[in-house]
Amino acid sequence: MEQALVATAGEAPDAADLLFADLYRSSRDDVYAYVAGLLRDHAAAEEVAATAFERAYRKRHRFDPNRGEPRAWLFGIARNAALDELRRRGRHASLTAEPAGFDSTGLDESAERSERRLSVSAALASLTPGERELISLKFFAGLSNAEIAAIVGVSESNAGTRLHRAVTKLREACDGAL
Amino acid sequence: MEPFDRDEALIAELCAMRPAPGRAFAAELDQRAAAGFPRRRSGRRSALATLGGRLPSLTRRRLVFAGAGGMLVALAVAVLVISGTASRETVQSEAISAPAPHGATSSSGAGTPGGPFARASAGREAAPTTVFSPEPTVIPGEVGKVSSSVAAANASHRSIERNAQVDLLADPSDVDSDSAKVFSTVHELGGIVLRSNTVEGRNASAHFELLIPGAKLSEALDAISQIDRVRSRREASADITASTVGTSDRLKASEARIDSLLGQLAAAETESEREAVEAELTRERRRAMTLRQHLAFLNSRTNFARLDVRIDTGRESSGGAWGIDDALHDAGRILATAAGVLLIVLAVLVPIALLAALAWLAHRAWLRRARRRALG
Repeated sequence: MEQALVATAGEAPDAADLLFADLYRSSRDDVYAYVAGLLRDHAAAEEVAATAFERAYRKRHRFDPNRGEPRAWLFGIARNAALDELRRRGRHASLTAEPAGFDSTGLDESAERSERRLSVSAALASLTPGERELISLKFFAGLSNAEIAAIVGVSESNAGTRLHRAVTKLREACDGAL
Repeated sequence: MEPFDRDEALIAELCAMRPAPGRAFAAELDQRAAAGFPRRRSGRRSALATLGGRLPSLTRRRLVFAGAGGMLVALAVAVLVISGTASRETVQSEAISAPAPHGATSSSGAGTPGGPFARASAGREAAPTTVFSPEPTVIPGEVGKVSSSVAAANASHRSIERNAQVDLLADPSDVDSDSAKVFSTVHELGGIVLRSNTVEGRNASAHFELLIPGAKLSEALDAISQIDRVRSRREASADITASTVGTSDRLKASEARIDSLLGQLAAAETESEREAVEAELTRERRRAMTLRQHLAFLNSRTNFARLDVRIDTGRESSGGAWGIDDALHDAGRILATAAGVLLIVLAVLVPIALLAALAWLAHRAWLRRARRRALG
């Protein structure tokens, strides 16, 4: 990502532009991973991730550093966009193909590895969207418990407890499938 | 295959499964970010999401136009309200009461022998036929109508004291001719000019205190209202029937007592009896004279109505040409009007803004709940 990410032609970028550029560079893949993990739909994840970054760009001047961290702010926007997509799905009841990386395996992977991955993928699908969201924020987006708590709107200890329950449920689902 | 007996193994597997964006998508997103996310249509977005996406991007110009449009609407409403209030006030100030019907006369009017303040005769005609309240009630033009309450007042011979005031607005050059018309109107109706005061010049004005026969007061008001523009008109009345009847009854009783004393005087046999009766007779005659004078006074109050007429040019005396005082006065009026318009505009806009804010808050709360439900 070498090209400049500040699009104000003819004007010097302000602090908000620079903040957004930095945030985009550091969080693009994490946001995609989170959204894909939650929605389990490749095409939808691309659309939602793009929407999230677009909204963040348009609101970049409204970000207040006193109210939280930039990453938490960005993931909050991404979360709302993803939840809107889930709501839309709930009205239209369509679930398309699994996102890439969930049920596809590399050519050089063993059969056992593939089988484990498929079981994890199926177990993820059996979680509620809320549990899957915690898993995605923690392990796909790489956020800390404190950041997860700020995004989800609970205390840090509560976030940790919920995350532990989700992982336990996921493991039990995986073990049950194996 | 062995199960995940430890979370660490599962976590490692999850991390290995982390979804990654496709190269094409990543490149396209980078380009869009560099270009500042230009607008693009997406068929997947709901109407609300499309609107929500458009809303933040409304240019300042559109917002200014929308705001200006709202202000214009509020301003138009304010002007309508103010003009409507002003016209209502004008109608109220110019409304008149029903004039007396033709043929009705006042009790001992100007034509009665002995002058306008003579004692009422036994066969006097009905008192002024129209009973007025302090506030005018009849629409201009309905001349000659008499309400049922007025007819009842006729039948009961009530004594009504009436007074009225008319303020006319005239050009400085018309004050003289208007004053002459007032004089001629009063004389035609058999009225009396108690007092008059006329000021000539740039700030000309005139003031008249008139006595008009009670039955002709409405006719006088109509005639004077035709002289020039009417700025205000007021009528008031008071029912003094109780005082009049009471005084009349006491006078009759006193006269009867006098007749009785005269009889006693004629029948007196001794000098002392005669002196006693004469003393009593003198006292009673003095009392009867006082009552007679009081009754005449009461009758004068009902026979004639007081009418106050002012003719003004509408501009306070400033001693000459339009000056600083006039400027301050006019500026004050303009500021007061502007403040009034602003208040009305706010009165229109603030409830709308509050409703819009409430609707926005309600929508946000609903959206928050809906998103929480989507998480199951």
